[in-house]
Amino acid sequence: MPSKPSHPATTSELGRGAVIIPALNEEAVVAAVVTSIIDAVALPVWVIDDNSTDDTAHIAATAGARVIRLRSKLGAWGAVQTGLREALRADLDFVVTMDSDGQHLASDIPHLIDAMARDKADIVIGSCPERGSPLRKIAWSLMRFASGLECRDMTSGFRVLNRNAIQPLASAKASQLDFQDIGVLLILEQAGCRIAEHPVKMRSRTNGKSRIFRSWSAVIFYMMQTLLLGATKRRRRRRYLAPNPSRGDH
Amino acid sequence: MIIAVTSAFGLLVAGLLLHLMRRDHLHVSHGVGWSVAIALSALLGFAPGIFDHLAQSLGVSYAPILGVSIAIAALLIKALISDIESTRLRVRQQRLIQRMALLEADLSELTGKKETGD
Repeated sequence: MPSKPSHPATTSELGRGAVIIPALNEEAVVAAVVTSIIDAVALPVWVIDDNSTDDTAHIAATAGARVIRLRSKLGAWGAVQTGLREALRADLDFVVTMDSDGQHLASDIPHLIDAMARDKADIVIGSCPERGSPLRKIAWSLMRFASGLECRDMTSGFRVLNRNAIQPLASAKASQLDFQDIGVLLILEQAGCRIAEHPVKMRSRTNGKSRIFRSWSAVIFYMMQTLLLGATKRRRRRRYLAPNPSRGDH
Repeated sequence: MIIAVTSAFGLLVAGLLLHLMRRDHLHVSHGVGWSVAIALSALLGFAPGIFDHLAQSLGVSYAPILGVSIAIAALLIKALISDIESTRLRVRQQRLIQRMALLEADLSELTGKKETGD
């Protein structure tokens, strides 16, 4: 799609980047999230509105974000991928992905960017395994076992990705995914990307419910789908950078 | 009696298929495969003895189970093909929705139109 970005990305040590936020019916918190990012980093904020039925798009635009509005609901991963495709179109060097519900702290963005440069990673996951309930931790263990991935926090949507990671995730192959956890990481692993984690703090969700953990039946379906995906796509060799205790990582 | 029932069923499904294609509810490319399946089922409906001979030559002692097994296998393959096609269409649809969103964002920025949430 030949087009010039009308919201030029800001240059940092990694090059030009942007913050991508998928949002669905988050009118209560999206303005605060966008404002906190604008205050914390000199990066443009792109809110990908997942066909919200409330005023999320308008409020996000008023708060200073560039809004890209999906005309049909694609889920959080579909919305994030829209931002990744736009990042490629705009020829960005890196993107930060964050949730729109206020769980992630904008003040951690510079630390994740630093971690990417320091670790020479292609993706850095803002990791907070402490936030999980015992049940969620069991789920994570099962996901690690099925996929062979060694990440401590596979479901975190707080990530920094460079162009090496954006490219495979913007592809049609990645459009088959429903969630941005195991499947995304396995595609990156297959593409030869280096995956790293950096500890961050996360707040409790203040608005709405998790799209995945909203009911028992949804959790069971999600787990079955995720474990099957992990088992069928896992590889023997991986390029994973374990958190380094000497850096204070968890 | 069983011949009358199976023949009537085969003719009924064949009529339904033609009706669906005529009303554009079923693409003609899908209709080809179904036409073959229905022609076979109609043939077996009028001449069920074919299965007895086939079962005998294959060493199947209970002939009807051969027909049931073949039918289940055919339906399983058809369901798999449908899911593969559905996956392909879903990906294509998702990417078109994404592309449209990006082009709409470009357009609204070019025209200076603010996001209204519509």
